[in-house]
Amino acid sequence: MSKESRMKATVNQKLTEMGERERLKELLRAKLTECGWKDQMKAHCKEVIKEKGLEQITVEDLVVEVTPKGRALVPDSVKKELLHRIRTFLSQHGT
Amino acid sequence: MKMEEVSMSSLDNSKLEALAQDILSDLVEDACLGLCFEVHRAVKQGYFFLDDTDQESMRDFEIVDQPGLDVFGQVYNQWKNKECVCPNCSRSIAASRFAPHLEKCLGMGRNSSRIANRRIVTGNNNTNNKSESDQEDNDDVNDNDWSYGAEKKAKKRKSEKVTIPPFNVQHVYYLVVFVHSNKSM
Repeated sequence: MSKESRMKATVNQKLTEMGERERLKELLRAKLTECGWKDQMKAHCKEVIKEKGLEQITVEDLVVEVTPKGRALVPDSVKKELLHRIRTFLSQHGT
Repeated sequence: MKMEEVSMSSLDNSKLEALAQDILSDLVEDACLGLCFEVHRAVKQGYFFLDDTDQESMRDFEIVDQPGLDVFGQVYNQWKNKECVCPNCSRSIAASRFAPHLEKCLGMGRNSSRIANRRIVTGNNNTNNKSESDQEDNDDVNDNDWSYGAEKKAKKRKSEKVTIPPFNVQHVYYLVVFVHSNKSM
């Protein structure tokens, strides 16, 4: 395991243990709803469902169709804010 | 199995930045997955398309924006020019004035009793002018130096209702005394 991946594993563990991961998740969810990302994504989902059929749609279908668009649509301001918090955490709990 | 913790001071800034981006990426992925699960459940439980309305209903309830109508399409100044017949005096009254008119006509509102009281007072004054005046009433007037009328009742009266009390015996007496005193000077 490389140094970086060990690093990453350590950090992730710390994030989870300190509850910061959960807080970051909640923050992201709130920000995405606020900026309308969720509504956009829901509209996109409707299209996918109408295309594939209401009865036949699976979770896999949705994940494959929706996730790439979801990543692309996250606004820069939201990304910036989350990154800032992550960096702060890394600098505070680096060791 | 405890993993060997690596100090981050050994990493340079670009690696730190990459790590932060990685973590962000994980979080975004998490959010997307969460959304997919939410949507999928809503579809299978049948409530995903619940808030959609068909085009026809949308047209039915559209906001109305015409003059003379409110947003529901109802006429709102319908009663402006209508007239009603008063059941008491059988006069034709405008609709917006009807309620106050009824109040006075039937003698039932807050103001109608005040108006009635006023009328009683001025009614008394009018009858005094015609017949012999009551001595007790006018004694009060004479106690105020030469002032007539207004001090009898504290209420303000409209100009046309001001009545000059009659020149009575007591006034004549004072006048005589006054003249007499001047004469003697």
